[in-house]
Amino acid sequence: MDDLKKRHGRHHGYHEKGRKGKRRHHIDPSIKPGSAKYIWASVSHNKGAVFGMVFLALIIVLSLLSPYICKYNYSATDFASMKAWPSAQHWFGTDDLGRDILSRVLYGARYTLIIGLLSTVFSAIVGVIMGAIAGYFGGIVDSCLMRFLDLFQAFPSLVLAMAFCAVFGTGVDKCILALGITGIPGFARLMRANILRIRNMEYIEAATTINCPTWKIIAQHIIPNAVSPIIVEIAMSVSRNGLAASSLSFLGLGVQEPKPEWGQMLAATRNYIRDFPYMVIIPGIFIVLTVLSFNLIGDAFRDALDPNFKD
Amino acid sequence: MAESKEKFFELRNLTVKYHSGSSIIHAVNDVSLDLNAGETLGLVGETGAGKTTIAKSILRILSENSVESIDGEILFEGRRILDMEDKEMQAIRGKSISMIFQDPMTALNPVKTVLSQIAEGYKLHHNCTKAEANKRAIEMLEMVGIGEDRAEEYPHQFSGGMKQRVVIALALACSPRLLLADEPTTALDVTIQAQVLDLIRDLRNKLGTAMILITHDLGVVAEVCDKVAVIYAGRIIEKGTLEDIYDHPTHPYTCGLFAALPDMDKDVDRLSPIEGLPPDPSVIRDHCDFLERCPYACEKCKKFDNKMIEMTEGHFVRCWKANEEV
Amino acid sequence: MVRYVVKRLLIMIPTLLAVGIIMFTLMNFVPGDPAQLALGSGVHSEAEIEAKRVALGLDRPFVVRLGEYVTKVFTRFDFGKSLIDGTEIKWELMKRFPHTAKIAIFSIILTVVVGLPLGIYTAVHANSLGDRVSLLVTLLFDCMPSFWTALILVLLFSLKLKLLPSSGAKSLVYFILPTIANSLGGLAGFTRQVRASMLEVVKSDYVTTARSKGLSERDVIYGHALPNALIPILTVIGMRFGSMLGGATIIEVVFSIPGIGQYLVNSINNRDYNACTGGIIFIAFTFALIMLLTDLLYAFADPRIKAQYVSSSKKKVK
Repeated sequence: MDDLKKRHGRHHGYHEKGRKGKRRHHIDPSIKPGSAKYIWASVSHNKGAVFGMVFLALIIVLSLLSPYICKYNYSATDFASMKAWPSAQHWFGTDDLGRDILSRVLYGARYTLIIGLLSTVFSAIVGVIMGAIAGYFGGIVDSCLMRFLDLFQAFPSLVLAMAFCAVFGTGVDKCILALGITGIPGFARLMRANILRIRNMEYIEAATTINCPTWKIIAQHIIPNAVSPIIVEIAMSVSRNGLAASSLSFLGLGVQEPKPEWGQMLAATRNYIRDFPYMVIIPGIFIVLTVLSFNLIGDAFRDALDPNFKD
Repeated sequence: MAESKEKFFELRNLTVKYHSGSSIIHAVNDVSLDLNAGETLGLVGETGAGKTTIAKSILRILSENSVESIDGEILFEGRRILDMEDKEMQAIRGKSISMIFQDPMTALNPVKTVLSQIAEGYKLHHNCTKAEANKRAIEMLEMVGIGEDRAEEYPHQFSGGMKQRVVIALALACSPRLLLADEPTTALDVTIQAQVLDLIRDLRNKLGTAMILITHDLGVVAEVCDKVAVIYAGRIIEKGTLEDIYDHPTHPYTCGLFAALPDMDKDVDRLSPIEGLPPDPSVIRDHCDFLERCPYACEKCKKFDNKMIEMTEGHFVRCWKANEEV
Repeated sequence: MVRYVVKRLLIMIPTLLAVGIIMFTLMNFVPGDPAQLALGSGVHSEAEIEAKRVALGLDRPFVVRLGEYVTKVFTRFDFGKSLIDGTEIKWELMKRFPHTAKIAIFSIILTVVVGLPLGIYTAVHANSLGDRVSLLVTLLFDCMPSFWTALILVLLFSLKLKLLPSSGAKSLVYFILPTIANSLGGLAGFTRQVRASMLEVVKSDYVTTARSKGLSERDVIYGHALPNALIPILTVIGMRFGSMLGGATIIEVVFSIPGIGQYLVNSINNRDYNACTGGIIFIAFTFALIMLLTDLLYAFADPRIKAQYVSSSKKKVK
């Protein structure tokens, strides 16, 4: 009998692995999935998203306050303390012109954030409208709009952004415009696909058969169902565009001196990397953390908005 | 402990639990069954009763990520399946025990030809050349009524009924000694159902394969099976020979199933369904599972210890009233 | 199938034509006088500039110049001459393309060779320690700007360890760091996509069927799950390769590799609009070709898609 028990015990091993399976965050089951409350509960249970939100909140506040709290002006050169390694005086050291890197990094956060956010808002508004028109009207309107957007997709996205930079010139506003236009097709396609998908769903057919008016179908069924993928795309787009803004500035096509944009700071100091690596490493870490924050928040929203996506 | 006579196939106290979110689902509870070589057992129950879980446990192909635990014993020709090493298990899968899946639409690999999908298993278990395996696969396809000319086609080129034939050919390619047929006709049109059923029956007779036929269709069971087990909420509530169950249904649930069937001889306006819904699978009850839906429920049922009662030899019922009647 | 390829090639033409027209038009309206640029810095008299305008053909109406440009590009693959140094843009691009192609090919190989097994491993062992570590690391790599990664690699391997050269394109050794820097971010995204695709496929019924046949776990994963998971992955690989062939701009700039991307950045910074237009059209050409190849591969890998093309072309024959 004992022998038998031992064997019973042993063969559990094969299937025991399953226990390690990830279990869902514990959210009060009375909250309806899809409601704003549920989304918030889910996102705020996500450690990554909380980290992202805390970091972004911190960096925004510090960036806005940096002219008042930092000992040094971000553009003040100090030839007495050029290329100073991080110390009590200069926490992140100084660059080749003796400018305080801490002040520059904090002040410069605004460029990545502003360009990332505004260019995304631009592409989202234009793209969603175009996609909605194409998806809703279909036919010739749809074909024309989509063929036009196909042209955008004949290029790798960074090349397209570079082309727009070449046309518009450099600067924060131009950079927003270039990245904003580059992002339009993504949103337009997403919106169009959503509208087409939802239009063919059975519950829309059901709504039509009970004579639900068109505007009501759009307002009550199509829009709420198309919103979640758009929100997720917005979060992802902000991080993508923030990164692209830094890349363009690094190439000299985006934000220019003396504005301390992080990519531009890297480009300006990259020749000193051998002896003063902190000049390059520090702004890079800020780019990584900012982009990471947006990505984590985007991931959390995706999980919260689309319960099917997980597992 | 009295050693029982070695059976061809036996389930002893099989219990399977899944985890879902933070709760445990008791999918299969304490199921014991046995089967002689060449016999066919019908496993009858409604959706969600745990029939497919039983079949998949036998082949050990349940998704590891969702299974909490499997307890009990599965004995095939005296060998403990749950204790086997992966290698041993692989040698049994497809060769000695094989399975026909419920949904032919998704059971076949879309990027491989049907021929290669059938030949693959045969080649593996017989250690033969590819040509021999292909020859066997074509034989099997012809046996299920699909011509050689279609062997090199892909699953998307077949209709649902044809796909189910391919699935059957695949399952029978190695002449298994035990076939698990999981609702082989449910996904098909009524007209095709009869054909596929005939096919399975003919093949079984020709090859002498034992079979566990999972279904919720009592008509199918009556046509094909030697033995029947009725399963409710993961438990067997009645089992016996075909005659035991069809001529002397005893458990109120089994009686309810028969009462819910349309009867050609009687002219009734409405069928009599079993009222209510199956119980919550995440709860283990200390009384009869059928209590809430049972028309004969009484106070004593709440104290019923859920033991099987043998009415006549081999006819077991999980209801204390069965004993009263005897 | 041949019919489909021809059809796709024909569809490509209007797109590329439109790209050419739009790029030429946009560049034409960019502020700044090309004639002045072509003369170089310094003060030039009105007459000098006017003469240069005539020499460059800028005095003719816009529409005529546009027509001529597009015709030249599409018949002779001729993008004209650089405004700055007067070199033939076509030859300049041709000379640079091998460098860009090398980076693209090495990078895509590195991405697939590392990302595919890693993605499969993490999907098969989902939620294991290895999977979690890999998810975290790939997420981090995904967020690293390639210029920063490149600089850090240079710092480590060229300046500190002195193992690898940090700039130039003299031999294959020079391509090691650029390839790694160019791949890391994409590699991370690729691994996550392979993992997601595999996870999706592993749940399929046909994978259970394969397992029920008695196949080893290895054969189930590589023989049945992977071919299906690869179908969406093919598009990802194609997109990535296509955009890398358009110049790994940042990497080329950091490592001073004379490739297409570097040419484009230089021409934008020098306001060499001819070179810029030419470069961009060239990139659109290669990108479109790679996307076409990807679609064909896709059809080859998925019999369902292939069947559509075959049957649609049959219908046309009738």
